Amino acid sequence: MKRIGLFLLPLALFLFVTLFLLQGLYSDPRERESSLLERQVPAFTLPDVMDETTQYNAQVFQGQVTLLNVWGTWCVTCAIELPFLTQLKEQGVRIVGLYYEQDLDPDFGGKSLPQIQQSIRDKLSQLGDPYEFNIFDVSRDYSIDLGVTGAPETFLIDREGRIRLHHVGDLNPRIWEQKFLPLYQELMGP
Amino acid sequence: MLAELGHFSLVLALFLSILMAGYPLWGATTGQSSLMASARPLAIGVFLFTAFSYFCLTQSFLDDDFSIAYVAHNSNSLLPWYYKITAVWGGHEGSFLLWVLIFTAWSAAVALFSRSIPLDMVARVLSVLSLVGIGFYLYVLIASNPFERLLPFYPVDGRDLNPLLQDFGMIIHPPMLYMGYVGFSVVFAFAIAALINGRLDSTWARWSRPWTLAAWVFLTLGIALGSWWAYNELGWGGWWFWDPVENASFMPWLVGTALLHSLAVTEKRKVFKSWTVLLAIAAFSLSLLGTFLVRSGILVSVHSFASDPTRGLFILGLLVVVIGGSLLLYALRAPALTSVGRYEVMSRETMLMGNNILLSAATLVVLLGTLLPLVHKELGLGSISIGAPFFNQMFTWLIVPFVALLSIGPLSRWKNQPLSALKNQLLFAFLLAFFTTVLLGFAKDKVDYTAMLGLGLSVWVLIATVQEVRQRIAGMSASQGVMAKLSALTPSHWGMVAGHLGFAMMLVGIAMVSGYSEERDLRMSPGDQVELAGYHITFVGVERLDGPNYEGHVAHLDVYEGERHIGDLAAEKRFYTVQRTVMTEASVDIGLTRDLYVALGEQLPDGDWAVRAYVKPFVRWIWAGALLMAIGGLLSMSDKRYRMARLVEAPVSGNQQEVAV
Repeated sequence: MKRIGLFLLPLALFLFVTLFLLQGLYSDPRERESSLLERQVPAFTLPDVMDETTQYNAQVFQGQVTLLNVWGTWCVTCAIELPFLTQLKEQGVRIVGLYYEQDLDPDFGGKSLPQIQQSIRDKLSQLGDPYEFNIFDVSRDYSIDLGVTGAPETFLIDREGRIRLHHVGDLNPRIWEQKFLPLYQELMGP
Repeated sequence: MLAELGHFSLVLALFLSILMAGYPLWGATTGQSSLMASARPLAIGVFLFTAFSYFCLTQSFLDDDFSIAYVAHNSNSLLPWYYKITAVWGGHEGSFLLWVLIFTAWSAAVALFSRSIPLDMVARVLSVLSLVGIGFYLYVLIASNPFERLLPFYPVDGRDLNPLLQDFGMIIHPPMLYMGYVGFSVVFAFAIAALINGRLDSTWARWSRPWTLAAWVFLTLGIALGSWWAYNELGWGGWWFWDPVENASFMPWLVGTALLHSLAVTEKRKVFKSWTVLLAIAAFSLSLLGTFLVRSGILVSVHSFASDPTRGLFILGLLVVVIGGSLLLYALRAPALTSVGRYEVMSRETMLMGNNILLSAATLVVLLGTLLPLVHKELGLGSISIGAPFFNQMFTWLIVPFVALLSIGPLSRWKNQPLSALKNQLLFAFLLAFFTTVLLGFAKDKVDYTAMLGLGLSVWVLIATVQEVRQRIAGMSASQGVMAKLSALTPSHWGMVAGHLGFAMMLVGIAMVSGYSEERDLRMSPGDQVELAGYHITFVGVERLDGPNYEGHVAHLDVYEGERHIGDLAAEKRFYTVQRTVMTEASVDIGLTRDLYVALGEQLPDGDWAVRAYVKPFVRWIWAGALLMAIGGLLSMSDKRYRMARLVEAPVSGNQQEVAV
């Protein structure tokens, strides 16, 4: 009977795998755990999208709770969330944009910077401007550092400049209330 | 009306399955041959009712009956008729119906082609099969009914078939793959039946082998077709992506390959019994697991078009019952299996064992790579992704000892093979392979050592295979001519030769494509010219395109090699109007030693076009190799030993020409 142990091994292995499969069934595959959670925002030095002489670095996230919103004028969903983000801004939420452009690429892009700035102005005056300012991710390296997979994506950053939440997809009232608000209130604190 | 008939027919098939799971097994246990004899007609009945049900669904597609939810979601009145037929398996519900249909087809095949197998065995096998079948009928009827109506509010036209699936490769790829997946159910049923009745001998191995071969041939072709489809349709010029769904089909193939070899040992030498049974269970279990992974949406992939936890839970429950149950039975019964044969450390048995271990290790690598991201995430460690580099590296390591065993194994004898007797042959083959590779490798401008390693290994397999055939005919009487001797070798021997050469051929393709592919991302306007790996490509221009259910652009490119005109390539970019999806139809100039592959990208704002051009050396060899392996499988199946009528009359006598694996 001693040998049975060995022959039970495949069964044990299978049941072990099953446990994870069962758990995996109930988790949303779109829910991403950002590997940057609870860490400092990666360092950067990038210009403002409207004014290349203004430079920003990670200091801009110090001392205030900030939503960092990755967007672009080419992104349809971003346009949909702009009005809601503007409402949030009016409630006093600090929102900083990380502008991500595909059409400036040296090989594939077809737009010049002034053209893009014009389309940003058009978009924001039309749908509302929630941004305190927009960091321009010129070579799109910073998006990669942040683990951005597309636009829109939103990060919640605390007073110490640590990333506390990473949301993939649009930010709407439901998501805000369920996912962001509790943590946001906690971070704003007394 | 037709849909209701189809639905009803499926319910009837379920009830027949329940009868088939009970009566024959009861008969076999109590020795009542009239009950056992009911297995065959029942199996055929189940098949006919399922086939009718499937026919009803197909006809609904051809009739554009959009009151059926499944048709409305997967078809469109503008779809050409042949795609309407293939659209039946374009979505979740229909592909499961196809799965069930193929499953019953295999059961019916067992019922028809098992005249030589004792009735009690057939009864048990068919009962085991329909026990599995019941689960899937329940699933189709309860959780994934393809005949559901959208009444009273049905759409005027359908949502169209996913454009990715509108391709010739897609017409035959899923049925082939399913034939392979489901085909392992037969071997599985043989194994379970043998475990139930406690008789596991070389006859059992001989009955199982042709069924294993058949399933393996289908699976090989199915995977090769899938790879070919991805190459043509996805527009990246890749032929294997280590996508979770590809992995799901690759795992049963690896285990199936191990099973083929292990069955050969069990048949000839009566050893490795419990191992072989485990492989038989594993092959089918991994097929089921593959189905689960693809269909539950648990792994995000281009292939998973259904994400519904209830369905996933149902399939997972089925898996636990079927796989868990059979592994439990295995744990209880396998310790009693004793191997009678004895063999030395240096022998063909050991070589085959080593080959089995390597194939299993490869399976574990793929399983680990596929499931680790999931496990990692569920443990709360965050998302990770395991990509091609991991698999490529692991397989590069595994393939070297694998090829060594593949080359030495067939040359060595059963029971005992002194190494010294093989020394000269091995040394000759190894050195010849080495020098050929060095010559071939350094003749190229670019030296890629991994590619050279792959090339060297394939040459080694080739030489070893030739040596093996020479060795085999050298043992025959001297009076015969070479041709007579060659034709005296059994088909199953030629099957082995073809299988191994196919593997070598595929390895050449893989090595060359991985090492020497050239690719360029270009922006081109009419009249532009570009040089790529000695080819001169001229961008002639772009025309508008109007298809039945799509519109788009076609780019014409003229290709010259020196002064010689190679051909006009027409790369298309299609926009499928109903699903609002853009698809790339790459244009490929195929050749024995290289493919020239051009895909049209986006139009850029200034009117230029993004174009991707690739030169893929020897890429055809990958699929040709798979085809040759499949032919090898067919040859082995055609061996006289497995011809059912002969089995009863003449049990294979011991002094007959030892036939290779």
